[in-house]
Amino acid sequence: MSRIIRTSVLAVFGVIWLLPVYLFVVNASKSPLTYTSKEAWVPTDFALFANMGEALQLSGLSASVASTVIYSVVSPLIAVLVGAAAGFAIVALRLRHGFAWFVVIFGGTVFPLQMVILPLFDGYSRVGLFDTQLGMIIVYTAISVPFSAFVMRNFFTGIAHNVFEASVLDGATTWRIFRTVYLPMASSALVAVFILQATFIWNDLLLGLTLSQSDSVRPIVTTLSGMQSTYGGAQLSTVLAAGVLVSLPTVVLFLLTQKFFARGLALGQY
Amino acid sequence: MSALAKRTTPYLWSARGFIAPGVIIVAVLLYLPLLWTTYLSFTAYDGLGDPQWVGLANYAEMFDDPDFLGSLGNTLLWVVGTLVIPVGLGLALALLTWNLPGGVWLRLPFLIPYAISGIGVGLIWSFILSSNGALDQALGFFGVDETPRWLVDAPLNTVVMIVAASWQGIGVNALLFTIGLNSIPKEPLEAARLDGATGGRLFGSILWPMLRPLTTVVIGLSIVASLKTFDIVLGMTKGGPGRASETLALTMYKETFVNSQYGLGSAIAVFLTVVTMVASILYLRQQLSKKNEI
Amino acid sequence: MNSRKTTIGVLSALSLSALMLTACSSGGSAAPADGGAPTGTLNFYTDKAAWEPDFKALNASSEPGVNITLNTTGYSDANQYDAFVKQSFRTSKSPGLFSWHTGDSLKKLVDENLVAETSDIWKKAIDEGWVSKDLERYYTFDGKQYCVPMNIAYWVMYYNKPIFEKNGIEVPTTWSELDAAATKLKAAGTTPYYQTSTLFTFQWFQQLVAGTDPALYKGLSTGDVKYTDPKIVAIMNEWLDEQKKGWFSDAGSTTDPAVGLKQGDFAMINFGSFFGGSLDAAGMKSGTDYGFFVIPAKNESLTQTPVAVETGPLCIAENSKQKDLGLAYAEWWMSPEAQTAWGDARGDVPFNPKAKVKDQALAELGQNVASSDYQLVERYFEATPTPILTVALEQFGAFNANPGDPMPFLQKIQDEADKYWAAQG
Repeated sequence: MSRIIRTSVLAVFGVIWLLPVYLFVVNASKSPLTYTSKEAWVPTDFALFANMGEALQLSGLSASVASTVIYSVVSPLIAVLVGAAAGFAIVALRLRHGFAWFVVIFGGTVFPLQMVILPLFDGYSRVGLFDTQLGMIIVYTAISVPFSAFVMRNFFTGIAHNVFEASVLDGATTWRIFRTVYLPMASSALVAVFILQATFIWNDLLLGLTLSQSDSVRPIVTTLSGMQSTYGGAQLSTVLAAGVLVSLPTVVLFLLTQKFFARGLALGQY
Repeated sequence: MSALAKRTTPYLWSARGFIAPGVIIVAVLLYLPLLWTTYLSFTAYDGLGDPQWVGLANYAEMFDDPDFLGSLGNTLLWVVGTLVIPVGLGLALALLTWNLPGGVWLRLPFLIPYAISGIGVGLIWSFILSSNGALDQALGFFGVDETPRWLVDAPLNTVVMIVAASWQGIGVNALLFTIGLNSIPKEPLEAARLDGATGGRLFGSILWPMLRPLTTVVIGLSIVASLKTFDIVLGMTKGGPGRASETLALTMYKETFVNSQYGLGSAIAVFLTVVTMVASILYLRQQLSKKNEI
Repeated sequence: MNSRKTTIGVLSALSLSALMLTACSSGGSAAPADGGAPTGTLNFYTDKAAWEPDFKALNASSEPGVNITLNTTGYSDANQYDAFVKQSFRTSKSPGLFSWHTGDSLKKLVDENLVAETSDIWKKAIDEGWVSKDLERYYTFDGKQYCVPMNIAYWVMYYNKPIFEKNGIEVPTTWSELDAAATKLKAAGTTPYYQTSTLFTFQWFQQLVAGTDPALYKGLSTGDVKYTDPKIVAIMNEWLDEQKKGWFSDAGSTTDPAVGLKQGDFAMINFGSFFGGSLDAAGMKSGTDYGFFVIPAKNESLTQTPVAVETGPLCIAENSKQKDLGLAYAEWWMSPEAQTAWGDARGDVPFNPKAKVKDQALAELGQNVASSDYQLVERYFEATPTPILTVALEQFGAFNANPGDPMPFLQKIQDEADKYWAAQG
């Protein structure tokens, strides 16, 4: 297919894909006092910053930012390395019963998270992890590991095994092969797993709600979600404005990491 | 056997060391709670006092409920829907942007929805699909006045929620496929190109087989995620009207958290886990074991 | 049971040490107040997350008043909140103060001896005239009181004033006037009533049944009256007639009901008296843009007009480390000083008749319903045992979405009710 056709098709669908985002921003910008749902598509006024300010004040969002940043950076970072190590063990080191071990890790994603939270709360309050940043980092790491292991395991299968054997002949230890050969080759997959999990954690509600209480430990969306309820609280446009505000860092993260996916990595050289 | 075993042995401890952190953290934080849930599924428990052993009563009650089947049906609709739309379109998107100048930026509009928080997505799609909402207003502008009640009429409401979920999920799938495409070695590709392979033939003979590791990831995750569909349904229809758009995960949630029937909720969770586990193992073994035999 | 706890404990500790390499400081939460001292920082949990700023604002009064600062944690999902609180009784984190629900849910906690008795606080409050004796029964089990009222709301009809004026409609004082108003509005092209297909689906049923026969309404909550009772079926058929006349708004609309009333999607909405806060936030003014009235009894021969009342408690966990602090706060909470401050922050009807209310209309409502012309009935939400309520909310929602023969809907509710009452023995 010619480049022009591909580009136009992508551009048209891209615009369609952005329509809900347009609605999101336009309606987040309307003043709650004059808001009606009858002019959904029309930007009637611009109160986005006022609404964001209101949201910040109502939710005490700012207290949660620092801890949420820590969770969204540290946990996926650990998870991506733990997952890559698991994939390396199975694919490159040919761990015995590799498939079974893989299923054990992958099984972590299988059951509904809602059923895990109450026993977790019980265990956490017993060992003193409840309402601690360490506790949140551990649990976010745990839920990120299966996805990470899955992607990394499958990515490594694309690397010919003689890459490993050649390194062994060079006298490298397994740890060094992992660190200097496999991890660098997998950088695009590592980055993809990292940003996807970071976004997931940034937007998590369930675990934050159950395993934390104080403003300095609670993740950001947990604070945000309390804003709108039947018993009064913020209006739709204020909540949407808060949503725009909270989504900005993840959008920026996606923008900044795009260059990692721009080209094929030079796997061919091995 | 013996050849393989011998070759494996030098790295046995090393391999165990590499896989241990992953296994330990998953086992402690996710499997232990699952054991507790499994135990609860054989008890009557309302969250207070102590659980009372009731054997298989919760399972009997679960299969006895006519609405359970409806819930199961909706869940299957989600599985099929998210396999066709986000996986299919995600692959198409990855192929279209692959090696295209500016492809990275053309893919970006599809990734932005994933960056938006779940609450925002639920709110904005409720807003779009509401009667006289944004979609109806747009259709009205083009002269279409008779529109269905998107979130009320079943099974249409499940279908439009699958569309909303796809809107958010397609970019991620495209990203994973892109990683797969980018890791394909250059030599066989160029050889195929020199042979004159383009379009469909290039895809069928080279790309599709080489993409398989990542296709497996995308499909495997899609199956698991769709079986657990919960947030978006809770946010948009709460499973209603009645129980028309309920999924299994939502049924489980209602029994556990709304009705405080932890035993029944746990039984549904166990059922859901078993179904998901069996489906994933069947799929993954078929896909992964071939690769493992190399 | 115990061995499981130990196992979880040991293994979690293992995981803790395994992950120590992440070396991260734990967050500092407020230090727990020591047992005896009735002053300090009290950790408070609530599912009314939207009220968090109001509870914070109250600290300005409680700090000089009783020297207690409330540290509020809001939960946005009421169901998960309930599960969290129940679970916390088993741990060292049981709350010194938490919001809960009256009815079945509170009874369960009382039966398990999980909440602290507040009989002394109630006795003092009633003696001082801080709270009406009517309210006490929702907090009384076997002659003892538990918890204190956090809020009270009367379920009334909010209406769009300009729409009423444009159509020459006066506030209805009888059921036939209400019917006439609805007919007139419909003829003028305005949908009279709001309805939805999820969660708040019970109001009209509650209004129709209680307004026809309060005893019948009460019977439903005790299991003495079946949902398939011919009288209930007849009431549902009247509801169906109103549906067929097009008196209810589109069940597929997800527009915020406050915005819906503002933009005239419907002229009236049956909601709790806390709804004014949402209308104010949507830019409507009480008295000029909107008003409310007590819905007249459907059965015009009733001498007392039934008004559905909702009250939510503030409770103190019996085994909490902060029990004394919680009780001290609860006592202060009942006082006119606290309730005036709370009314300023929330703009709600206070339960304390001696508290000052800024909104004149709300103040009058509070006084009116206390008179002998009205009788309070417990809101359907609290009056109905939870498993039955879940099915009923679903079925009324399905009925609103696709109105038709009421029997299949009622039968489903009754099936659940049969199961529930059989299990109660």
